[in-house]
Amino acid sequence: MAEPTVRLSGIVFSSLAFQHVNRDSDVEGLILGESKFEEQVTISDSQADHIHIEEIYNIQKHISCLKLNDFYNSVGDVNVAAVNKILADNKQENVIGWYKQRRNSDQQMTFREKVVHEKLKASLSNPHMIFVLLTPSRLTPTGSTHKMEYAAFISRSRHFVNVPVLVNNLGVLEQLAYWKASAPCSSAGYHRTMNTHSSKFFSSNGLLREVNDVNSMNDSLQLELQKASRKLVESERLVETLQTDISVLRRKLSEKKKSEAGKGGPVDQRDQVLHEAFRSLLCCRLFHTHTLTLEAFPVPGFSEQDGAPETASPLRPGKRPKETLVGTDRKRRRSQPSE
Amino acid sequence: MSPEVTLHRISPELRPLLSSVVRNGRVGLDSTNCLRVTDLKTGCTSLTPGPCCDRFKLHIPYAGETLKWDIIFNAQYPELPPDFIFGEDAEFLPEPSELPHLVQWDSGDPECLLQLVKELLQQYHHYQCQRLRESSRLLFEYDSLLEDPNYGRNMEIYAGRKNSWTGEFSARFLLKLPGDFSNIPVYLLKDTAVDPGEDVALLSVSFEDAEATQVFPKLYLSPSIEHALGGSSALHIPAFPSGGCLIDYVPQVCQLLNNKVQYVIQGYHKRRETFIRHRPCLLTRKGVVEYDAEGFTKLTLLLMWKDFCFLVHVDLPLYFPRDQPTLTFQSVYHFTSSGQLYSQVQKSYPYSPRWDGNEMAKRAKAYFKSFIPQFQEGAFANGKL
Repeated sequence: MAEPTVRLSGIVFSSLAFQHVNRDSDVEGLILGESKFEEQVTISDSQADHIHIEEIYNIQKHISCLKLNDFYNSVGDVNVAAVNKILADNKQENVIGWYKQRRNSDQQMTFREKVVHEKLKASLSNPHMIFVLLTPSRLTPTGSTHKMEYAAFISRSRHFVNVPVLVNNLGVLEQLAYWKASAPCSSAGYHRTMNTHSSKFFSSNGLLREVNDVNSMNDSLQLELQKASRKLVESERLVETLQTDISVLRRKLSEKKKSEAGKGGPVDQRDQVLHEAFRSLLCCRLFHTHTLTLEAFPVPGFSEQDGAPETASPLRPGKRPKETLVGTDRKRRRSQPSE
Repeated sequence: MSPEVTLHRISPELRPLLSSVVRNGRVGLDSTNCLRVTDLKTGCTSLTPGPCCDRFKLHIPYAGETLKWDIIFNAQYPELPPDFIFGEDAEFLPEPSELPHLVQWDSGDPECLLQLVKELLQQYHHYQCQRLRESSRLLFEYDSLLEDPNYGRNMEIYAGRKNSWTGEFSARFLLKLPGDFSNIPVYLLKDTAVDPGEDVALLSVSFEDAEATQVFPKLYLSPSIEHALGGSSALHIPAFPSGGCLIDYVPQVCQLLNNKVQYVIQGYHKRRETFIRHRPCLLTRKGVVEYDAEGFTKLTLLLMWKDFCFLVHVDLPLYFPRDQPTLTFQSVYHFTSSGQLYSQVQKSYPYSPRWDGNEMAKRAKAYFKSFIPQFQEGAFANGKL
């Protein structure tokens, strides 16, 4: 549901009031300005995404009629030619509504005002129009104090709704958020100045220049990130494929082993004997590394205990193992090391 | 605010229009009440010399309620048609093209504003009837009455009035009861400048809820009918039957009222006939002190019996001859201790409603002759000269 608000500057408001004070009857006229619709998204703890639309009517100017019932007749039929005549050089699309100043009467739209409002909307093809009503009246019997009440109305399905009117610089300090658009102004001098200097700050699409640069940098970062992501994905997929292959091969190998162990054929037996022969041969100490003396005799000190003989690394001087020939019982003589 | 004060304060160019409204402004069924104007204000500045009032509140009787409509002119533009604010009925938006006196507004026609108000009231009536759609029960009541030509054309509806306690939808029907009141005795108001208006009987039926479980009828009579019937409490209408409907109830009330009125008219004519019988006496004023020449309810005679003068006041009741007249004998010589003329009231004497005027006069004369000696004795015994 749209929440409408009417805003007008203190200057326009005081101009309206001043005009009526100086006229000896009710006054009416047209209102120029702009209307815009802004979508506000608010996030709260209870609701993640709350969207509400704000209807804002900015009144920038008013044009009074020279007499009452100037652009409509007794039954409220609007004369568009008369409206254009009142507008003079102003554009019809700038018309956002009309106003009436009624002295000493209630803050309610009258019968004819409602009819005229509906017909004005239809005639100007603008479904969003406002009606501003100002009703000055005497507050004290002596006339020492007068009050000026004001209200705005919009039509929703032929029902007229009262909308709040905010007059700038009359205590309106609600601008807490960032400005999203420049302040509306119909002054020709203002527009000239903006046109002259705006290119220094704004790019062709209306955004600040720095904003464009930051956006470009962000885009580049995004591209790099995407590239790295792609590479990562590819490598991960390759790893996955290799792991799958390895699993398959292992599975095949184990299956093969199982099947061969169960069968026990002549080839398997031959391989087994060969395996044992090689094992005996390679386990023989004779084929192990020895430490010899200068006379080409092994250095005693090898133990004949079970287990692998101690091997001494050239880098780790230690006890030299005793060597024992397989199958020989000959005792080795202990020779004195040469000096 | 009296019409004179109103007209004095209004802007001179608008005075003829308002004059018709405040002097001849009778709209709707309740023609006994005139349109009233209050809250006169001006659209001019306070520096403008008066009289310059050009906007006011118009009080319009409708369906037992009083509508308060703001009517706004402009003293600086008196030729322009007025504008309206329809009080609390903010949703009421009549079709302008169906208001001929607005389409062809003529500020020079003094009746234009009054006619425009009547046209607006017609549209207001349609608007209220439309609101009855919120309750099928009440809509049925309206439709059934509408079909009867006796009531359909003389009906005002005020719907949508929320019950202040329950907030429920409610409605009031105001019907003009058909009847011949032309022979009602003439009733003179104290203020002869005020026209009592047309003789009318209005039945108001208030439905406090949409299901018609709380229904309160009330009968309103114009001053002459009310006086003819003997006051506001003389006629008691029956309560609205539970589960009943208006199309049955209204004719019942209408019948009761007409019977009563006819009875009163007959009584009046009977009294008048009785007086006419004695026209020679009345015309020659032989023994006649005074008599009610309008309602024929009272006659005072000065009689003499054997040099004893006395007054006889004859009071004919409203429902004469059904009800027996009262005879009050009054001595012209004797006073009571309180300083009043000695008198005796006689209500039980030979009388029959079936006697005609001559017979009644003859019997009354005979009774006088028999009673006067007794009265004289009483006067001498109890009164003082």
